[in-house]
Amino acid sequence: MSPAKKRRRTPRQLARGARRRTRRAAGRLRRVFWRSLQLRVVTSTLVISIAVVAVLGVFLEQQISTAVLNDRERAATSEAQADRRAVLGFLTQPESEAAKQSGDAGKTLQSGEESPLGRVTGELANRAGSAGRYSVIIRNRRLPGAFFGTMNIDERSVTEKMREEVLTKEAGENGSWYSELYYKDRGGRPVPGLVIGTRLDTTSAPLVDDGYEIYHLVPLDKEEKTLTSVRQMLVVVGVGLVLLLAAIAFLVTRQVVTPVRLTRQAAERLAAGRLDERLKVRGEDDLARLAASFNEMAANLALKIHQLEELSQVQRQFVSDVSHELRTPLTTVRMAADLLYDAREDFDPMAARSAELMQNQLERFESMLADLLEISRYDAGAATLDVDSVDVRDVVLRAVADSEALAERHSTRFDLRLPGEPCMAEMDSRRVERILRNLLFNAIEHGEGRDIVVSVGADRDAVAVAVRDHGVGLKPGEENMVFDRFWRADPSRARTIGGTGLGLAISREDAILHGGWLQAWGSPGEGSQFRLSLPRTAGTELKGSPLPLVPPEVEMRRTWRGHMTPMLAPAAADGGRDAE
Amino acid sequence: MTGTGARAVRTLRAAALALAALALVCATASCSVIPTGVRAGAVEDEGRGNPLDPPYARSIAMPPNDEWDPEKIVRGFLAAMASTGDPGRTIARQYLTDGFAGRWKPSGEVTIYQQDGIEADRPVPDGTAEVRVTLKGTVTATIKEDGLYRPSDGDLREPFTLVRDARKRWRIDAGPEGLLLSKADADRAYREANLYFLDSKRKSLVIDQVRLPVNPASTLAKATVERLLEGASGSLEGAVQTAFAQGTQLIDVTTENDHVVVNLTRRASPDDIAAMSAQLSWTLSEIVSGSRFEVRVNGESYFPGSSLVIDAQKQLGFDPWMTPPDVRPLYLQDGTLRQLGKENVGEPVAGEAGAKKGSRIRPAVSGHALKQVAALSGDRKSISVVSLVQDGQWQEWATGNELVPPSWDRYHSLWTVTHPAPGTSVVLRHYYDEVKREVKQFRVSAHDLDEVEVTALKVARDGVHVAVAVRDARGDEEVRIGTVVGEGAGSRIDNLWPVDRVDDKQEIKDLAWKDGKTLYVLTGKSELLEASLTGESKPLGFYAHIESITALDRALLAGAVDDEGNRQILYWDSAKWQPLVKDENGTTGFTEDGPAHPAFPLG
Repeated sequence: MSPAKKRRRTPRQLARGARRRTRRAAGRLRRVFWRSLQLRVVTSTLVISIAVVAVLGVFLEQQISTAVLNDRERAATSEAQADRRAVLGFLTQPESEAAKQSGDAGKTLQSGEESPLGRVTGELANRAGSAGRYSVIIRNRRLPGAFFGTMNIDERSVTEKMREEVLTKEAGENGSWYSELYYKDRGGRPVPGLVIGTRLDTTSAPLVDDGYEIYHLVPLDKEEKTLTSVRQMLVVVGVGLVLLLAAIAFLVTRQVVTPVRLTRQAAERLAAGRLDERLKVRGEDDLARLAASFNEMAANLALKIHQLEELSQVQRQFVSDVSHELRTPLTTVRMAADLLYDAREDFDPMAARSAELMQNQLERFESMLADLLEISRYDAGAATLDVDSVDVRDVVLRAVADSEALAERHSTRFDLRLPGEPCMAEMDSRRVERILRNLLFNAIEHGEGRDIVVSVGADRDAVAVAVRDHGVGLKPGEENMVFDRFWRADPSRARTIGGTGLGLAISREDAILHGGWLQAWGSPGEGSQFRLSLPRTAGTELKGSPLPLVPPEVEMRRTWRGHMTPMLAPAAADGGRDAE
Repeated sequence: MTGTGARAVRTLRAAALALAALALVCATASCSVIPTGVRAGAVEDEGRGNPLDPPYARSIAMPPNDEWDPEKIVRGFLAAMASTGDPGRTIARQYLTDGFAGRWKPSGEVTIYQQDGIEADRPVPDGTAEVRVTLKGTVTATIKEDGLYRPSDGDLREPFTLVRDARKRWRIDAGPEGLLLSKADADRAYREANLYFLDSKRKSLVIDQVRLPVNPASTLAKATVERLLEGASGSLEGAVQTAFAQGTQLIDVTTENDHVVVNLTRRASPDDIAAMSAQLSWTLSEIVSGSRFEVRVNGESYFPGSSLVIDAQKQLGFDPWMTPPDVRPLYLQDGTLRQLGKENVGEPVAGEAGAKKGSRIRPAVSGHALKQVAALSGDRKSISVVSLVQDGQWQEWATGNELVPPSWDRYHSLWTVTHPAPGTSVVLRHYYDEVKREVKQFRVSAHDLDEVEVTALKVARDGVHVAVAVRDARGDEEVRIGTVVGEGAGSRIDNLWPVDRVDDKQEIKDLAWKDGKTLYVLTGKSELLEASLTGESKPLGFYAHIESITALDRALLAGAVDDEGNRQILYWDSAKWQPLVKDENGTTGFTEDGPAHPAFPLG
């Protein structure tokens, strides 16, 4: 039972497999065809040349066969005409005597002497030479015995249809047919041939019976052989020509396509950052000039990039140097300011207020300098990680604790959503804490006093922390700009917390240093959410985040809205896409 | 100014270039397709005729026309019988009633007639049930089934009875058996062919003249070789041999390149290859236009690794007597034997024959190297032989009564006929035994000649054919041609057949073979006839004074005596007789004791 089942299934499976394979092969072929310029050019050349050669070949063959057959027909017709004259001559010669004797032309045919018809057929046989050239059949239905042929021609070759046509035509008017000729010695195998039939015109010899039919049968087997060989030659030449054209197209396109392909590969490598990629320049043609131009372009590009890199390096160095250089005078200024601040009780209120302001701004200046130094360290590639396995929850709690004071000042509350079990991950806890602090400060600053949700998620490979505020949110396109240095959502707004404008940029650098992601989501009026995702093991690549970038309630609301009014869906789709 | 000039020059140059290109295109287009002044490659001339079959016309049988009257029906039937493309004569049978068609057999001997007329008994009024139509004429010949053509004569009156069939059409209900062909139809329906066979020693070629029916489905060459393989016709029965192995069949005769290929089923024995080549070559070269023949066996080359190619030119030498050399005749003058020399002046032969006068007549010259001459004594009672050497002596070989002039055959035996009693004849054959130095005489068995008087006997140069002139009891004379079978004591003369009737009651003076098939006959009225077995006798000319003749190929000599008894030898220049032998003065007149009884070797 089961083998039968198997057998029943196998052909269907086979067919399906074959169909699948065919489809796959066709797809591959189509891909190859559309990808290869050379293949396309060769194919189109092949198709066009086949069409041209076929049309030309058919035309040529027809011309040749018409010419050959016309020639043969002309020759045969003139021979037939000459033979008719001879026949009439022979028939009229004894006519008077025969008529005198019996009054019946037919009687001469069977007298003891050779009949004139027999004599003339012999004469025609000698003229024709052999059946290879042509054969003659003469007959007169009315006279007994008046039926002669030359050589081995079979009388079947003259069909009844031809006879009727000859009899209906005027005497002396030729009827010609391409027909099959039969010979007695060829085993009944017909030979293609031409039959020219006429009724003998006896107007000049009224005593001769007018029922004589003369047929000339011209075999055309040699012509057929010639035409067949011509056709074979045409086919061979045509096929050769098509193949030659295809080969030429192949060679020509190869000459063009190969340099283009090399250029493409070089461009790809150049795009991949290998700026020293260059093409070999051979000759002076257009392709060589293309290669030369490409090389020039690549050299210029490399030079520009190098210059820009240098410039950037100089700028960074400058920032770093300035920061360092500013610290020494700042320390002095700071010490002086500290003195002034400490003695502010003794100053009049105006001066005391100035000392306070100076102290505040100095602190901000210091932290700004520190941030600048930090970020220049990143730019110089000097930042290193001090990795340790820690519980993310602890880090979050520490950062929240650090932010408590500020939050209270903004009458903001933290809503912590931490998992119950520890979320261990290898990280530099100082840096991660700084990231989180930055995110919390940012949320407090833009949260407009509403609750800030801090959630922690973990899965097998990664841990994530999301900080959600319900402030003004971000405009579309601002999700990435928030991480730019000194970027401000609304330039007119003053910094209330005294952020340096570098916090998020540094956080981003820190996250990247960990091999993690720091991403932002925001929507006007719905607040924003920042999500930090880190791999559990330092150095491994991050494939996904345990927490969604878009807060779940927002996502749900959108989906619901999308179902209700599909028209609005495209407008709301922005930013809804998870970076995963 | 210079700019304009330069532009003009450029335009001119461009125009010239365009013109040159145009001229080139025109020249190429109108360039002759067939190059003149160049050697043409040799192209085989195939297709210009089938070399195996000379052109011929044939009569095609036509079915009867319903409106024909009895006479036309008979004419149509006679014509339909002559159609060779219809071997079963199915169309001819359509002229017959069903009953007669069943009885009628178109095979067997063919009668050839010369038609005088076809007569219906009486006019045919409507409603007549039976009409008799008679074919009148003379029979000229018959052709036997083996192709043997025999002239004959006799009146022909063949009645045909015609009746109306169910559809009121006239059909032949009774008529002659066998095929009746008019002479013209027979000439069209049959073709002459000479088949070459071998004598008993396989050294000479013997011609067998036959008529082969034209077969459109075959070629003459093929039909001839097929007939050659079948063996000789009745006229040479038992007298000839063939070199082909027993049962050899012909597969095909074709042409290939420049030679004719004969494809057989069997090989001949190695000793017979030369003879077979000669037979084929001689038989075929009269028909086909090639001179090289190749024999294959079952499509393969004759010898392993090499082919048997026969060159017709080389085969001419197989039998030297087929193409005899220029031989000077001997003759008698003033009782001595002379040989015609340069400038037609006679020289005495060596030995006794040339020196000593004798009364011998009718010399005969042998064919072999010894050059023996036999001569009849004046009283016709003995025959003596002399060798033409320095010390050659006349030696008596045979004696008898009324001996006929001697005749040598190619085997060096001497033939004569003696008449023991009036009206009876005994043919004798003599051999010379070189060892015992004696003559052996054998009686040749010839039953047809025992009871008649043989007046002349000549053995042909092929050693097989023999011609005799006989006079029967009533005094009628005729010439018969037969064959020699066997040798020595077993010799006999067979297959004797009269040649076309020489003029009735004519005396026959002498016989001479021209070649293997043609005989010259000298009649008593000095009329010369050219006769053969297969044709009518042709009178050549008349000269009253001829007493003997001799011939060799195209040379024909006669010994003549005028009313005064003066003699001279004449030669036939294909129009009339001319004197031949010059005397010392260079004149060629008749003289007393002038040259007489010329003789070529053999024949």
